[in-house]
Amino acid sequence: MDTRALDIIRGYNGRPIRVMEVCGTHTHAIFKFGIRNILPDNIKLISGPGCPVCVTETGFIDEAIYLAMEKGVTITTFGDLVRVPGTEMNLAGARAKGAKLKIVYTPLDAVQYAKDHPEEKVVFLSVGFETTVPAACLAVKKAKEWGVSNFSLLTANKTMDEAYRVLKRSADAFLYPGHVSAISGMGILRELRDEGISGVVCGFTADEILTALAIIVKKIEKGDPFAENAYPRVVADDGAPIARKLIAETMQPCEATWRGIGTIPESGLELNGEYEAFDARKVYSVPEMHGRPNKACRCGDVLMGRIKPHECPVFGKVCTPEHPIGACMVSSEGTCSAYYKYDLG
Amino acid sequence: MCVGLPAKIVSMKNGTAVVDATGARREISTELLDNVEPGDFVMVHAGIAIAKITTDDQEETKNLMDALEA
Repeated sequence: MDTRALDIIRGYNGRPIRVMEVCGTHTHAIFKFGIRNILPDNIKLISGPGCPVCVTETGFIDEAIYLAMEKGVTITTFGDLVRVPGTEMNLAGARAKGAKLKIVYTPLDAVQYAKDHPEEKVVFLSVGFETTVPAACLAVKKAKEWGVSNFSLLTANKTMDEAYRVLKRSADAFLYPGHVSAISGMGILRELRDEGISGVVCGFTADEILTALAIIVKKIEKGDPFAENAYPRVVADDGAPIARKLIAETMQPCEATWRGIGTIPESGLELNGEYEAFDARKVYSVPEMHGRPNKACRCGDVLMGRIKPHECPVFGKVCTPEHPIGACMVSSEGTCSAYYKYDLG
Repeated sequence: MCVGLPAKIVSMKNGTAVVDATGARREISTELLDNVEPGDFVMVHAGIAIAKITTDDQEETKNLMDALEA
């Protein structure tokens, strides 16, 4: 067994290092493999905001419920959005009151459903980062090509680049999310390196996570900012150019509000002018909605790495996977969900 | 929702492929990749293949550690 990465990590005796694992799947993998338990005291892992459901604002759920209840729209969505609390209720509650809700595996299934049901108005809830955006873009492109005019997207898509900049003081280095980088490539991470922001693109096996952490330790000892790819079997240096071209053809950057972080300019994506006929907010004249999350929930502080889930007053008490108060407990990639599953404190 | 699924391409037709993901089969889109064929492994997100991949994770981490210690 090759223990070199582990030896480097355990042998580290420098200044304290804070490493933020941005991706929710990393958070779960790190717990699952027991990696936190084998780190020395001077290496701390902080969970970041890389769960798309978790950073989606309460108002987005309110918009979806408005479309379903007031406009008679069929909502198509990934399953984990269904129990995310809105201001008054979640989508499951709306379904109990008569809203039509269809769970899909991919937005391509949603556009196919719209094509097969021309009598229905179908909206797909388009949340997600660079990994999921291309599928939504492909769906809307197909809708246009097929003339499926009863299909549209309610977008809350986000991109990570600007978030790294906002979060740079939260950690000494990032474990960059491998599959976001599979789309965006290494170029943006080198730009961040040149701004003094460091990190390593990381895979999801125990060996891959330990290797990335060992690289971080060695690079921090050296002292210069760094951007390394420790997941080249998936992440090409130039990412996925065809996917990025598709995004550029269908969407445009916009200001986005991240739950817990606030508004970040240019960190969201919305449909561009050529595809505005597929923008649910415009098609159905959705009024502006500012959701009100439960005041007891501290998902925002968890997402910024300011507190651990145990420090939230409702964690594990009234907020559980069966009865989530905050989005971080709902999603299978959420930080609170990971702590609840693996470490109740 | 934001979970990558590594899968092996079993067959392909008109921009779609049937993949095998640890025994489960389903249809995905391969329209965003231009160099895949049956037998290749891909990373699937939300029903589309976003990257052609290899499964040599242990070889890769060994090479990375060799480079780090060089």
